[in-house]
Amino acid sequence: MLTAVVTYGSNGPEVLLSASEGEEGYSEYTYADCSIIPEGKDPSEKIESLGKCDPGPSPIMPEAKELYWGAGAFILFALLMRFFLYPRLRRSMDARYDSIRGAHAEADQARSEAEAEVAAYEAALSEVKAEAASRVDAARATLEQERSEQLAEANARISSARDAAAAEAAAAHEAIRGDIGSAAATVAARTVELATGRAPDAGAVSAAVEGSMTSGATR
Amino acid sequence: MFALEFPPINEILRWSDVFPSFNKVAIISVLAAVIASVIFLIAGNADGSKAPKGVRNLAEAIVEFIENQIVMPTMGRDGLGWTPFLLSLFSFIYLCNVPGIIPVIQMPATARMALPLFLSLLVWVVFIGVGFKHQGLGYLKNSLFPPGVPGPLYILVTPIEFISTFLVRPFSLTVRLFANMLAGHILLVTFALLTKELVQGGNIALVPVGILPFFMLVFLTAFEVLVAFLQAYIFTILAAVYIGGAAHPEH
Amino acid sequence: MEAFTILAQEADKAAAAASSAGFAYGLAAIGPGIGIGYLVGKSVEAMARQPEAAGMVRTTMFLGIAFTEALALIGFVVFILIGL
Repeated sequence: MLTAVVTYGSNGPEVLLSASEGEEGYSEYTYADCSIIPEGKDPSEKIESLGKCDPGPSPIMPEAKELYWGAGAFILFALLMRFFLYPRLRRSMDARYDSIRGAHAEADQARSEAEAEVAAYEAALSEVKAEAASRVDAARATLEQERSEQLAEANARISSARDAAAAEAAAAHEAIRGDIGSAAATVAARTVELATGRAPDAGAVSAAVEGSMTSGATR
Repeated sequence: MFALEFPPINEILRWSDVFPSFNKVAIISVLAAVIASVIFLIAGNADGSKAPKGVRNLAEAIVEFIENQIVMPTMGRDGLGWTPFLLSLFSFIYLCNVPGIIPVIQMPATARMALPLFLSLLVWVVFIGVGFKHQGLGYLKNSLFPPGVPGPLYILVTPIEFISTFLVRPFSLTVRLFANMLAGHILLVTFALLTKELVQGGNIALVPVGILPFFMLVFLTAFEVLVAFLQAYIFTILAAVYIGGAAHPEH
Repeated sequence: MEAFTILAQEADKAAAAASSAGFAYGLAAIGPGIGIGYLVGKSVEAMARQPEAAGMVRTTMFLGIAFTEALALIGFVVFILIGL
């Protein structure tokens, strides 16, 4: 197989191509480059010099030595990777990821704890605030009550004073009225006595005066 | 003017053996495996309880990239068991691709057919094995006779399904990785040769022109960084898709 | 002398092979080029419309690119095979 490719593909002399056999042989095949006869030499010598000339490998055909070196290297590497290198790396990677995940969980827990504390603090704060507000309200209510009580007391005092004053004024009024009535009755009785010469009935005079005063007062 | 002698592709890929049957590509693939192992070994030894930094950070970033960008969208939670396989696939392919742009080394190990072929055959074996393990013989039935197709059409559908599932998949996986990396390598070689030819070609007038392919070379090197990552990613995600599809036919 | 005629014939064959390889790759690049352009364009549209689904669209886009690109890459391999 190897021989066939090289035979048809190369532009080297056919003689040499068919001369060598076997898989190892093709690396000793020759090319036109190598077949230039040195000046002054016999063409028959060329054949020998051609045999030492290396044309390079076929670009398409795999070379056995490269195949088994490459294959061996890869297989060893893959096995090493599968059973030793990768598991070790993976294990420590997983351990780190787990620890990071654990740290994350811890951080989450700490955060939720802190949040709970904040919530408790806020609840206490609002309780205190409510209590303060209620105390303020109570104080305000007490104040209001006292104020209204004092106001009522003052009002009562004022009204009783006013009542007393009014009663006094009414009493004075009545006294003055009685005085005026008696004075009017005296004046009227005297006037009638002077006019008629006879003293009128005191009861009738006072009734008349009273009546006119009342009507006068109403009129 | 000047003639650019472009070497045949074989010559670009010719590396003499360090010792019999051990050449540069073999060195790169062995080194890729060793470097990846060392990275994950150091990462595993580092203290894992603190925030990761340095090598450990890198390793964890790769693991999470595989899990979140490759396993989860294609296989879901059930596929997390495949992470170590896909992880080693991804890091190995990436470390085999990247030497293509590292000066002095300048050869992606995946630009040779051997490595992509082996890896895709491995994926092929794995996904077929997973299919048989999860569905038994029903795997063949589900993949060759997809439900919901009218009877006579199976004459047409079954061969197509067989070819696309069992033949084209490993083939396209191989060719995609291999050809991408080889094409990138050839492009870099082309522009490097062009620069060299213009600067050292002996024609003084052409020397300043040499800056153009040189800039292209720098740009392509940056592009190859992207390609190296992208091809490792695509190979891995396709492996994940194939395995996931074999494990759960409804997906 | 015989060897030189063989070399000349080989060189002719190589020239023909190189030009046909170029054709093969050029043809193979047309379809995937259009396909990838269309695919990425549509994906960008989808991502712009629904930025929250961008991750999923991107994953699917890369898968689609991988499948489409395979055709171009097979063309590239054919290019190498013919040109060899």
